[in-house]
Amino acid sequence: MVNIARLLSGNDAVVEGALAAGLDFFSAYPITPATEIMESIAKTNVKFIQGEDEIAAITMCIGASLAGSKAMTATSGPGFSLKQESIGYAFKIGVPLLIVCCQRVGPSTGMATFGAQGDILQAKHGSHGDYVNIVITPNSVEECYKYTIEAINASEESHSPVILLVDGLIAHMHETVILEGLKSAIKKRSLEPLGSGKRHFTGLTSKGNTPKDKDPLIYREWYNARKKEILDAAKNYEFYEYIQNPNSDTLLVAYGISSRVILSLRNRYSIFRPIRLFPIIEELEGIAKKYHKIVIIEMNDGQYRDEIQSFLKREVRLISQLGGKISLAEIQNELSRID
Amino acid sequence: MSFQELIRKETPIGWCPGCGLYGTFYAACEVIDESNNPNTVIVSGIGCTGRGSGYFYLDSVHGLHGRAIPLAVGVKISNPKLDVIVFSGDGDLLGIGGNHLLHAARRNDDITIICNNNEVFAMTGGQVAPTTRLGSITTTTPKGNTAESINAQAIILSNKKHFYARSSPIFKEHFKSCLKEAKNHNGFSFIELINPCITNVGRLGKTPAQIFGEIKEKYKIINDNRPLEDNELGIVKNG
Repeated sequence: MVNIARLLSGNDAVVEGALAAGLDFFSAYPITPATEIMESIAKTNVKFIQGEDEIAAITMCIGASLAGSKAMTATSGPGFSLKQESIGYAFKIGVPLLIVCCQRVGPSTGMATFGAQGDILQAKHGSHGDYVNIVITPNSVEECYKYTIEAINASEESHSPVILLVDGLIAHMHETVILEGLKSAIKKRSLEPLGSGKRHFTGLTSKGNTPKDKDPLIYREWYNARKKEILDAAKNYEFYEYIQNPNSDTLLVAYGISSRVILSLRNRYSIFRPIRLFPIIEELEGIAKKYHKIVIIEMNDGQYRDEIQSFLKREVRLISQLGGKISLAEIQNELSRID
Repeated sequence: MSFQELIRKETPIGWCPGCGLYGTFYAACEVIDESNNPNTVIVSGIGCTGRGSGYFYLDSVHGLHGRAIPLAVGVKISNPKLDVIVFSGDGDLLGIGGNHLLHAARRNDDITIICNNNEVFAMTGGQVAPTTRLGSITTTTPKGNTAESINAQAIILSNKKHFYARSSPIFKEHFKSCLKEAKNHNGFSFIELINPCITNVGRLGKTPAQIFGEIKEKYKIINDNRPLEDNELGIVKNG
């Protein structure tokens, strides 16, 4: 078989990956820069409904997933905020689901057509209460394909919602890719579909099929088991890239589009690129020990910096690229001041 | 099978003694039992009625506040063989979830909705709801409700294809016949049940017997498929 190179956008590649992973159901609400994902899926045989709003879209996905479908939704920052309560609900009842968030600039409506990395914290923990999330971020069109498959697999394995954080730049960027050979083994659904039992799925703290929302011990037992299930599953999705430069005493940390922009700096610095943002890659602790300085480059005001700073318990310097503009010259300029 | 096999025995029912929801629930169990369709899924949102999904001994989903309808729509599209019934309250379906009701009715999604209208946010202790009558005292309208109650019938009937029924657990056989017809209806069907909260209305000086007695006196059943007057129960459908 001839492997054909194709010119695809990041959003196209997300769709290709979802189809390869066996997507059965999709619902979303139009939002820049994620809309093309929905437009492409509407042309396939995947069961599809455009939601009347962002909350309807993710809720329909949860219903569909319970009824046996591999389900996915796609959105951007404002819609991602609206979906947060439902993400906590999906975590609570143990529903596999993929949420793709193509990040754009701003709080509020912001700059819809400019890419950013401002949804890191709401991807980690935007819903209320105790929960853990697997969050994966690709940095190329090829990776949009590859990690959409991995993210759907991770959601099936962990019985929980998984977030694929794309940035608007990667979502709309076109690259030539050969998708053949990138696909990992597809995880099958293990949750029995609705209609096959006598189960009660509820957001209430419960024991078995009965709500028990007055007993701290039941909550603790449930939460610890649920958390363990997800952290155990996450061990199979330890994705990161480490480019070691033996002459560097500074480690640059970058992910998504920022990691593409700074790639040429590998001649001077070591680079750590988390692909799975959360849970934070444990190996970073050992890697970081080899360096005097750690500098993170991200298109937000230090969201992931704060996370790894508290993880490593040491200072991490921030080069922040705001307003949808990322410039290698600006980054080099700031690095020379840090050096 | 008897309808009692559709009741989840291990889960204690938390509704107030004397609440009309018992009648609603048992009547729904009877209809599901008589339909003999094992592929029935119950979906609900939050509130006193929303708790009801957990009392059915069937696969059931208790969702977030206001989100029963899109949950049910997702289930139905994913597996059209399932008979999907939403069992939820007026605050959930007409208040916080109102947008979903508008659009599921417009799309004519093939689900059946039992909307228990108790005229108040009951589980949180009696705040004003979209269904609360003009002038009613609630904890958040201490001087009386200044707004007219929502007209669910008008919302549903604004769609060319529609199925709206108004009934009450006080008229059990009528409710059962409405539910049977709604389940057989090919498309979106909505049953509004007149069932005032005895606790939150009752504390203002009415006994359950008075509250239910007023319903018995006020409403009459009609069978001629036309928009219902305020004091009528019946089915209005097209398509």
